[in-house]
Amino acid sequence: MTPELFFLLSSVLFSIGLVGLVARRNLFVLYMSIELMLSSVNLLLATFSKVFGDASGSVIALLMIAVIAAEAALFLALIIHMYRSSRTIDSDTFDRLKGQIND
Amino acid sequence: MLEISIFSILALFMLGGSIAMLVNKQTLFSAFGFLVAMIGLAGMFALLDSRFLALAQIMVSVGAVVVLSMLTILTINAKEENLPHEPNKYKWIAFASLLVLPITLLIYKSTSALYASFATMQTINSKVVGKLLFSEWVLPFEIVSILLLSAMVGAIVIARKDVVQTQGEES
Repeated sequence: MTPELFFLLSSVLFSIGLVGLVARRNLFVLYMSIELMLSSVNLLLATFSKVFGDASGSVIALLMIAVIAAEAALFLALIIHMYRSSRTIDSDTFDRLKGQIND
Repeated sequence: MLEISIFSILALFMLGGSIAMLVNKQTLFSAFGFLVAMIGLAGMFALLDSRFLALAQIMVSVGAVVVLSMLTILTINAKEENLPHEPNKYKWIAFASLLVLPITLLIYKSTSALYASFATMQTINSKVVGKLLFSEWVLPFEIVSILLLSAMVGAIVIARKDVVQTQGEES
């Protein structure tokens, strides 16, 4: 059992999250992709905690889990607010900050 | 040998769940894939001897976050025509995968070049984690508690009903 397998799995999961963030337009899929990227970092932290034989990596991952929970609450409230204002969960429709383009 | 087989099964669960999350059109099926990936991640933590972390992952990520997102999906209950129309989704996914592949290789190479073996150590149980959390990491712990409180207040304010209508008036 070597750490390389865990490193490989963590980087692949991070990339899957990044692909979901770039390629999809469903707001829930974007949210879950961000969660997946954060969780892959958690896996990396736990692996390093075992590599070094130090429990501090586990403690950082534990604090990260709390940050993930806070992010989930805020993102879901934001999705509900956006759905209530424009009746869709397509991320391409929310472009009010772009402003008017006059040419 | 046993560890390798457990790792393979869990990795299969995680990869399959996250790919199912990535390609499904229906949002609830994506959430189920995400649930499978999170349970696999808890198994990975248990395999890495971080017992308390596996427990926290099960309780917080699976028990709270995924269930909350599923409840939100079911509450919103977006119909087929309200879902985003993505005609060439697989083309976009393949293109983004090619784009992201160098980043994957970079992360993997830069991390796996560091250390090649595990240290022999005791399992990280809740006693060790609690001692570290209240001696060395007590300031981040307090900051996280303030963050959770402010996130709760912010979520209540954002998801309130009259936030859309009363933009000009005082609420």
